[in-house]
Amino acid sequence: MIGYLFVLAIIKLVIFERGQRVNFDEESFAFFVAVPVAATFLYFLSVFSFGLSGDLAARQSMYPARMLALPVTTSALAGLPMLYGTSVIVVLWFGMRLLVLWPADVDVPVIWPALLAASLLAWTQVLTWMPYPLRGMRVIITVLWLAAIDTIVMLALYLKASEAVMLAILAPHVPLAWLAARSAVARARRGDVPEWRGRFARVGRIEEVLPHFPSPARAQLWFEWRQSGRSLPGLVAILLPFELALLFPFSHTPELIFEVLLLVAFTPPVMAVFVAATTARSGATTSDAHGLSPFVATRPLTNGSLIAARMKAMIRSALAAWMLVLVATPLALRFSGAAPVVIERARRLVEVMEMPRAIAILLLGLAVLLASTWKQLVQSLYIGMSGREWVVKGSVFAALTFLAVALPLAVWMSRNRKALALLFNNFALIAAVLVCLKLSAAVWIAMRLRDKRLLSDRRLVIGAVCWDVAVFALYGLLVWIVPAMLVGRSVLALIAILEVPLARVAAAPLALAWNRHR
Amino acid sequence: MSEAVIEVSRLTRRFGARTALDSVSLSVARGAVYGLVGANGAGKTTLIKHILGLLRPGNGSVRVFGLDPVADPVGVLSRIGYLSEENDLPGWMTVEELIRYQRAFYPRWDDAYAEELRQTFALDPTAKIKTLSKGQKARAGLLIALAYRPELLVLDEPSSGLDPIVRRDILGAVIRTIADEGRTVLFSSHLLEEVEQVADHVTMISQGTIVLSAPLSEIKESHRVDGRLPSLDEIFVARIGKA
Repeated sequence: MIGYLFVLAIIKLVIFERGQRVNFDEESFAFFVAVPVAATFLYFLSVFSFGLSGDLAARQSMYPARMLALPVTTSALAGLPMLYGTSVIVVLWFGMRLLVLWPADVDVPVIWPALLAASLLAWTQVLTWMPYPLRGMRVIITVLWLAAIDTIVMLALYLKASEAVMLAILAPHVPLAWLAARSAVARARRGDVPEWRGRFARVGRIEEVLPHFPSPARAQLWFEWRQSGRSLPGLVAILLPFELALLFPFSHTPELIFEVLLLVAFTPPVMAVFVAATTARSGATTSDAHGLSPFVATRPLTNGSLIAARMKAMIRSALAAWMLVLVATPLALRFSGAAPVVIERARRLVEVMEMPRAIAILLLGLAVLLASTWKQLVQSLYIGMSGREWVVKGSVFAALTFLAVALPLAVWMSRNRKALALLFNNFALIAAVLVCLKLSAAVWIAMRLRDKRLLSDRRLVIGAVCWDVAVFALYGLLVWIVPAMLVGRSVLALIAILEVPLARVAAAPLALAWNRHR
Repeated sequence: MSEAVIEVSRLTRRFGARTALDSVSLSVARGAVYGLVGANGAGKTTLIKHILGLLRPGNGSVRVFGLDPVADPVGVLSRIGYLSEENDLPGWMTVEELIRYQRAFYPRWDDAYAEELRQTFALDPTAKIKTLSKGQKARAGLLIALAYRPELLVLDEPSSGLDPIVRRDILGAVIRTIADEGRTVLFSSHLLEEVEQVADHVTMISQGTIVLSAPLSEIKESHRVDGRLPSLDEIFVARIGKA
């Protein structure tokens, strides 16, 4: 990263004439500086908090157990990674400031951004190393706490606080975080993990009256549901009350009501991304953080059946999460007094669109969100199932690199009419190329599945037919909803093909076989 | 002896530059108790993982019940009872749930036998696996490996975590009972005294190579010193020292 910043500085100093400013507009600043730096910062967050080597949703501390046994004090165990992390973050900031921002004459503050980055890192470390009473609580508390710090800083900026005030706000964070980290590591060393699940034990007991499993597939489905299926509904159940509580103070502000509803609607698919990252490698052993445990690997089930159980459990998971949303939201609207506002808007929509189309759009929207939630849960399954650390870490790196390129590019294109026109004119061509890539990958995967006898011909045909039916159904709905003059039918067909998951989902049994029979 | 349950032929497996198994051949006959002995890192667990299909042979072949365990995991694993040395039972399950889950995979599951084993091993059905001691976890693992009366029982370091009483009285009795019923046992151990008590056939493995594989009585006879039959411990030191 420092090398990258150094290259940028050299370009400025050598290629451009001395004294000439480099015109960093917002897009190019984001493209060349902000996104790579943000991606590097996120990487440092995960590296220095040891967040890449454990289960984020677990109750136990993520501080590496082998390090807890080192003959050093708890203060040092907590302090040294914090010191290294803070030093690297500070170097990153000053490197960027000296090598890029200074030559580009971008006017930015000197110290407080470094202090903010150090604070965010320190609190991430604390919250990652802390043991929690409930599974998934770490993700929620970390997100809320970091968002709170960010909000305070944004508020101070909005009020045009001076650098001294910013320093006063941020300076106490690192020592406070160190104290909290010391306490967290001490608890981890003692093996102290708080337990709240006993309070929910009564709910769990209901299952015990169930009869024996009628088939191995049902037993495996139960296993997957218990092991990873409940994470998403659990996270949604924790977040939903906070989100819906916002309806009560703003029940007469339509814009805010709809923003809250939008937030609620996107909670399951967004949380599904986090859940997928933490549950994809379920069954890993203590000796191999990414491999399959012998207990799971020696199940007398085919790889296809093991994956099918996981997929079905994820369907249940998505349905359960949405069931919560669909039950809690109308209740919150009713009791907050926001329901009339929503009903009024719905009535207007029906007047404009006619009842059948309005209902179809509503149902389609729900179906898309539900399908998207499930898709988020399973589309990266093949990465976790591969059981290879280099695949998992490589995919994280690839995703960050893609975001670092794609986001600034998208922002730049959205503000550049020529580029936007070029994109729209060639949209069908781009979609066709993507469809070709997707179908080629799917054919290759299907051939590998057949050659390795991971799926029978019958199952492959059934899978292909189901996928065709889903694509045709989506295409039919799109044709019905989207006016033909707006988007051509061939483009709608390409969109339908791209939207229905195929290659990545089909790759999961292949990845599992690679992991299970090493 | 009857037909072979396990046939390993010239099996070689490398992990990077290290050769974990070097042209290993082994034939395990039905109804026998095979003890696989060797120092830590000798290749015992690697060999067992190949038999279970968890590792793919680099060279050579592995057949269990005449089937390739990688190509047909269901055909092989449904007939094997396996106790892993890793104690990797899901910690969130209760003992009761573990039994209920496991029985779904095996049509020959014997509820009465499972309950008898549970009582013998003094396992509380409502206890979560993660709250059990290492020895209790090993007993729970042994219970679910035994209760469907598998044709082949594979135990990887079964004594690990078991106290001496369980080791001597229960494990020994269980292994002998299984063999008496005509089923086959392959177990790895570094406790040579234990192997000596229950095994019919001993295979010594060192640095990925089989240095000795024969019936226990034959091994002892061939190593007789001054008319005295040596212990397996003495034979092991002599053979592995030479290897």
